[in-house]
Amino acid sequence: MSETDIQADVTVDAIGSACPGPLMDLIGKIKDVDDGTVVELLTGDEGSKNDVPEWVEEANHELLDIVDEGEHWAIYVKKT
Amino acid sequence: MTGYAVVLASEEFERVQAVSMIASVAASSDIPVEVFVTMNGLNAFEKETIESGDFEGGRVAKAMMEAENESPLFTEQLEKAKAIGPLQVYACEMAMDVLGNEIEDYADVFDDTLGVSGFLNRAQDKQIIFV
Repeated sequence: MSETDIQADVTVDAIGSACPGPLMDLIGKIKDVDDGTVVELLTGDEGSKNDVPEWVEEANHELLDIVDEGEHWAIYVKKT
Repeated sequence: MTGYAVVLASEEFERVQAVSMIASVAASSDIPVEVFVTMNGLNAFEKETIESGDFEGGRVAKAMMEAENESPLFTEQLEKAKAIGPLQVYACEMAMDVLGNEIEDYADVFDDTLGVSGFLNRAQDKQIIFV
């Protein structure tokens, strides 16, 4: 299914949650983990794929990839 | 940027949800936010209103309640954000007085009650958003 080689350290499953649920879940997780951790955010909310990158840039983390998994998206973010 | 001071004076579901979303994402990103709920804004936070789900609202409110992907209700959203970042929510003393309400009549999201001077003191260094 997935078209990415990225190995996530942790997964945040926010499928079924609308704006700003997925982003809030991601922010909460990013605060918990150590620098260098790759977080995979699963979201069915189409707005997330534009809004999450905006937050990632402002918060100075690294957006690794956004993968369309059909029913949802997988967004990979590295904490820096 | 020293944060936002939001005045929520409307009970319209869309506006209340928008305030909770913006305040929550900001606070979670370590931007301080003070929300002052006043006038009809307080109605949306009454326990009775929340239990019945009988909110004032328009097309988007209806669509949000029926949507497949659920947005958390503003009360849950604010609760969650308060646990993550610098967010304070205050209820207006005057509006509560004229309605004969106590803080116990409202959802458990308020840090305290506040008057105009109290709000202005907290808003001094912040950008004010009036909703």
